[in-house]
Amino acid sequence: MLVSAHSLGYLAQAAGVTVALSLAGIAFGFVIGTLVCVARVSGGPALARLGGAYVSVFRGVPLLVLLLFIYYFLPIVGLDVPALVAAIGGLSLSSGAYQAEILRGALNGVPRGQTEAATALGYSNLDLWRRILLPQALRISIPPMINEFILLIKASSLVSVVGIAEITRVSMNIASMTYRPLEAYVAGGLFYLAINLTLAGLGGLAERRALAGAR
Amino acid sequence: MSWDVLLHYAPALIRGFGVTIACWASGCALGLVLGFAVALGAEAPSRALRAVLRVYVEVLRGTPFLMQLFILYAGGPSLGLRLSATTAGVLGLGLYSSAYFSEIFRGAFAAVPRGLIEAAMSVGMAPFDILARVRAPIAFVAASPPIVNTLIVMSKETVVLSIITVPELMYEMQTMAAETFTAFDAIFAMAVFYWCLVEVVSRIGRRVEKRAAAFLVSHA
Amino acid sequence: MDNDQRMPMSRRTALRLGLAGLASAGFAAGQGTAFADTLADVKKRGELVVATEMQFPPFDISDNGVYKGVDRELIDAVAKELGVKVSYLDLPWTSVLPGLEAKKFDLVIAPVTITKERMKHYAFSVPIAEATAALMKRAGDKSIAKPEDIAGKTVGGQKGTAQLAQLKEFAAKLGKPVEVKEYVDNNQSYADLAAGRIDASVNSLPNLAYAAAQRPDAFAVVTPPFGQPTYFSWVARLDDKTLMDAVNAAIVKLDGDGTMAKIQKNWFGQSMALPTTVPEPAI
Repeated sequence: MLVSAHSLGYLAQAAGVTVALSLAGIAFGFVIGTLVCVARVSGGPALARLGGAYVSVFRGVPLLVLLLFIYYFLPIVGLDVPALVAAIGGLSLSSGAYQAEILRGALNGVPRGQTEAATALGYSNLDLWRRILLPQALRISIPPMINEFILLIKASSLVSVVGIAEITRVSMNIASMTYRPLEAYVAGGLFYLAINLTLAGLGGLAERRALAGAR
Repeated sequence: MSWDVLLHYAPALIRGFGVTIACWASGCALGLVLGFAVALGAEAPSRALRAVLRVYVEVLRGTPFLMQLFILYAGGPSLGLRLSATTAGVLGLGLYSSAYFSEIFRGAFAAVPRGLIEAAMSVGMAPFDILARVRAPIAFVAASPPIVNTLIVMSKETVVLSIITVPELMYEMQTMAAETFTAFDAIFAMAVFYWCLVEVVSRIGRRVEKRAAAFLVSHA
Repeated sequence: MDNDQRMPMSRRTALRLGLAGLASAGFAAGQGTAFADTLADVKKRGELVVATEMQFPPFDISDNGVYKGVDRELIDAVAKELGVKVSYLDLPWTSVLPGLEAKKFDLVIAPVTITKERMKHYAFSVPIAEATAALMKRAGDKSIAKPEDIAGKTVGGQKGTAQLAQLKEFAAKLGKPVEVKEYVDNNQSYADLAAGRIDASVNSLPNLAYAAAQRPDAFAVVTPPFGQPTYFSWVARLDDKTLMDAVNAAIVKLDGDGTMAKIQKNWFGQSMALPTTVPEPAI
């Protein structure tokens, strides 16, 4: 038997942890990403600069370092963060920077003439965003967003540094115990694949519906 | 911070950073070419080809680089594929990133307004010309921020190469950490190295983005 | 124009200030809390929090989420001596030392070898096991019968370990040069041994004996061990002298009353004598 049924249960449990943490990271990351993107595109020079700095820092610092910083360095300066908060916080802060950039790229893909036309037609700024820019940007951004979500699910393996056992960590534990790393990694990989295929499937569905709506 | 320790290991760390950049750049170059080809192939009339490419993308995208690289490097020899650590690292990164790049190109192609393509067809442009002069330029503008994003993501994935003994930054950093038991120094040094790399890449990315947008406006 | 010139300067200053802040905080983490009494805290809490990387059999194993191994049994016995409960954390090695600094736990029970450089940063316990360097080959590889046979071959080991250092020393005395490949983790070295990329793996004898016993189809230990006797210890913060003294007293007592020998027989198949004082580091 390559990987025992017992180990599969252990892996399935870890997969639950991976999914829960990633979903939280994606959701909070989307809120952060939207805010940062709007700030950069139409928030005036000060906010745009702040948004730019946010992206620069949180995209530039590896997630591993960010997690270690939140969980192990903040307590030294007097701010003790629980492991779960550190894990979700790190994932969200990092993903927010990437999602902001994706939304910004998608906005660039909306033909400029539409903004001019909407302004000429007397659309308010809010209506312009709500009815013209955001819906199109979201549609364009579906494939890169799914890309980013999948990356986040895999990057969530790094939360093992705060002591949370997720798929990668558990695969490695099994590998070291059984001295059969190949089998353990293949098993772990299949769990990731199942999660990500589900996500890609949902993404494909969303993309088709958005396209149908656009016609 | 133990500055003396960092100073002592600085030559090795800088050499490692060079290896990181070399592996990252060659892996991503391979990934961009493969990814573009896969995105074009996804429009092929053959259903079988489309299905194969779909599986290619989903498997490479859906599993972690760590596991792929380990399977390629440690599992390869049992299939007669015996690669050096660096070759396996670059090839692995190329395959892995190609899945992401192909999705970006696919999404960007879809963003090209249908009317433009129809217009190009109606004036009798050849399919290749439509690709080279209409679809690719517009798609590239939409794709450039996510490409830069992915390049940045991939730069950080290179730390995984350390497990198969590619002497990149993480590998050298681990030597320092293991020999001296310095806790935070290695982490902060990593952060500084990577932040520099990412800053440079995003600056170049922004410039390309602006140029591309300007190109599009001037040719519209 | 004026503004443009001032911006980068203030940014640079900010960076410098930031780095200075980090430096002083790091300094404080290392040496600042000289009057910490972790032992009193542990007793008050009634709980000793320990961390290790559970990927180092037979010392640390996560058997489908259940912590097992030499370290587990020994720390349980030590905690009983101290009259407290234990809770265990499984952390990747990257975060074990930062976690110790951040006081997320009291003691690192990952077995490590004392070196002079390491002693500058951390306190080490009396030996908890022998760490003498030995070699492991592929099962059925007849070209290696004794340690000297690695001459002209490739051997892998984990970076920064005492075993790797001893291998280099040993190899230098052989007739033909030995190619040494350094890994971030022993488990990768075993994988490359199985894949045929290297001819032998170096590690401590207890680790290798356990690995070969688990996978007799793949691995075999090369006897005898080649290195001079070295030992594994546990790690605490440099200023936690009271805690380390109490842990050491407990280990010495367990060594005397036969508990240690029982644990050793259980996991190594034999017992071994250990020094009862912290040894002088050889490297």
